[in-house]
Amino acid sequence: MKKIISVFIVLAGVLLMLPDTSSAIPAFARKYGFNCNMCHTAFTKLNDFGQRVRQHGYQIPGQEGFEKNVFATPIPLAMRTSMGLVVGGNDSTTTSSFNINGLDILAAGVLHKNISFLLIYTPRIDEPAGDYTGSNNGANPSQLGALESASLVFSNLVPDLLNVRVGRFEPAYHAISSKRIYYLISPFEIYAYGTGNNSFVFDDNQMGIEVTGNSRVGFHYAAGVVNGNGPNPDNNKGKDLYLTMHQIIGRGEGQSAGQRIGVFGYYGWQPTILDSLMGPMGENEGGGNKTFYRIGGDISLNWRTFNLRALFMQGIDDKALNPLDTADDYEFNGGLVELDWAGLYNNRLIASAMVNWVNPPCGDNDKQVLAYSALIRYNLGDWTAVNVALHAEYLHREIGKDNPFKDDIVALMLDFAF
Amino acid sequence: MDRLTFCTFLIFLFLPAWASAGDTSSPPLTAINVHSLGPEQVGNLPPVIVPVDNPQTSAKILLGKKLYFDTRLSADNTVSCATCHDPALGWSDAGPTSKGIKSQLGGRRAPPVVNAAYAPLQFWDGRAPTLEEQAKGPIANPIEMGNTHQVMINTLEGIQGYEDEFKAVFGTSPITLDQVAQAIAAYERTVVTTDSPFDRYVRGDQVAMTGLEKKGLEIFNGKGHCTACHWGGYFSDGRFHNLGVAPAPGATPDEGRYAITKNPPDMGAFKTPTVRDAAKRPPYLHNGTEKTLMTVIELYDRGGGTEAANLDPLMVPLGLSEKEMIALEAFMKRAMVSLNPSVADEKPIPASEFPK
Repeated sequence: MKKIISVFIVLAGVLLMLPDTSSAIPAFARKYGFNCNMCHTAFTKLNDFGQRVRQHGYQIPGQEGFEKNVFATPIPLAMRTSMGLVVGGNDSTTTSSFNINGLDILAAGVLHKNISFLLIYTPRIDEPAGDYTGSNNGANPSQLGALESASLVFSNLVPDLLNVRVGRFEPAYHAISSKRIYYLISPFEIYAYGTGNNSFVFDDNQMGIEVTGNSRVGFHYAAGVVNGNGPNPDNNKGKDLYLTMHQIIGRGEGQSAGQRIGVFGYYGWQPTILDSLMGPMGENEGGGNKTFYRIGGDISLNWRTFNLRALFMQGIDDKALNPLDTADDYEFNGGLVELDWAGLYNNRLIASAMVNWVNPPCGDNDKQVLAYSALIRYNLGDWTAVNVALHAEYLHREIGKDNPFKDDIVALMLDFAF
Repeated sequence: MDRLTFCTFLIFLFLPAWASAGDTSSPPLTAINVHSLGPEQVGNLPPVIVPVDNPQTSAKILLGKKLYFDTRLSADNTVSCATCHDPALGWSDAGPTSKGIKSQLGGRRAPPVVNAAYAPLQFWDGRAPTLEEQAKGPIANPIEMGNTHQVMINTLEGIQGYEDEFKAVFGTSPITLDQVAQAIAAYERTVVTTDSPFDRYVRGDQVAMTGLEKKGLEIFNGKGHCTACHWGGYFSDGRFHNLGVAPAPGATPDEGRYAITKNPPDMGAFKTPTVRDAAKRPPYLHNGTEKTLMTVIELYDRGGGTEAANLDPLMVPLGLSEKEMIALEAFMKRAMVSLNPSVADEKPIPASEFPK
């Protein structure tokens, strides 16, 4: 029984930590007749062209108004999932399981010149079977049904300088996006790090308004007003704010060409009291709001088909949110360094290595994280708007400082989108 | 409602109007030929669209062909359309820029006539909306054919053979400039290539293209970003882009499309040429500054030329490997070259067969 519980815990842990990689939009490739590598260095990571398309509200940059809109094309639907064998082990237990790593149903398109939309729905998935049919039948789904994104983009309100995104979206403070990475089982640990009394998750999508823009000399900015996220009430009056600024050196967007350096900051509020008052949309009113912030910097360097990118982030929660010591703020930091390489014709082969770390404050050493990951992916075929990638990934993770819990996970998966 | 909430409400209210501001020229969807919008998948060429006011007839096409090769349309009987749009040179010329009357050099090289029937606008800067309008231009250009339209008409009217043929084709007399342009345009609409190895491959002939050429096509439509502009059956969007191309040594900067539209983003932008038969007509770009297909590929791989002031946002460095470049070149060098003998081997009309 103990072994079964261990297996369950490890598998559940693996499934829960699978990054929420959702954004690959073959509907666009289908619309244009493009190969996916037009916008992606390789599925799923955006290249510079794809980044500009995204920045221009999913329109071909410089060609706004001269492409078919959503009414002149087939229904712009796309889907993405990945599946395969995940083997996990630590000092005491080894598990293996065939898994489906979520399913994303995407729709995106241009409604009118400079007005576009993106919808991402993730249906509930009750697998794995052991959880689905056992005593916890359906109680621990591997994916919750959710409207992950529902946003409208108003582009070029001031040409290049002002675009507005409204709704639920991936905020721009994810300078290194966790939605469009090659890794399937290795999260950006610093993004996923949760503090004791603050349910904010850095890389969850947000609801609100975001403005973005760029100059002709490579300066990019983004700023937003959002609810904040996490399970706590998010309709408190104090909206969260963020700002990012990046400079591109050389031609490109820093994704696959040019060099990019930037800073980001997020200033948020978390309630410490759950009031019984209801907001107009049915949420509880949160009270006793306390502040927290995340600040950091990131860099992306390119040489030939190598991309080295790194991010460092410092997090500070108000002392009222500190579960260890209410006399002090809760401070932590962490980051990641990732090196990607693309090879073979049309970047069919991808190899990558990544290190992640999180340093919690003294007293919370059990949450220290050090993780090493590596992967190799091979994209099959030359198909328009269809991607099938063979994916092999290894993750070694150590959690805790003095006597760390170590686990190793190997995933052999098929990652596909159409 | 506090002030912040009210402001947010107003922003929501006016965003759509703001986004579409200045867009009053956009026609309603029902009025748009959606097939003129793109990008679209590369493929076979569709049939040529013939304007209703200039229907194709055999006699008109033949008359147009004679005019196309006839140097008597120029001021000193030395330059014909074919001088700069030579079938033997991919319907362009040896370049780098074109040489007109009295050996005067133009600032741009001659765009190819082959498949020009598919271009929505003519000339590198798109100043002519139709082939008919395009055909009139060089005749009166002082450094091309150096003539005036009236003198050219007088010349043709002085040739009995032409007078008879024009009357037979158009049923009226005297000869007009529009008739000359219509006849030349009718001929040019027959200069169409539909049978390259790529076309055969698209039609299902899996061995029409080599393995290397297939890899080249994959890169053309993927990592190479070529189909961002060179799309559809015509392998061109017919639009205007600034590639950052520097003027040739000693040449003055060319305003390109801006000279026509006065729209700042058009500064230094030139029409996307078709890739079909490109291998037959080096050198490349509007000013012929790239000598080979490979140097053109290298230009794109660098993310464009050195003139970055108004670079098209589509231009980004590509990170192509040498093997990928070779595959791309192979695709364009053979797979995109037409096998239509009537077009590829078009010979000038012998002097003895011109109307007298």
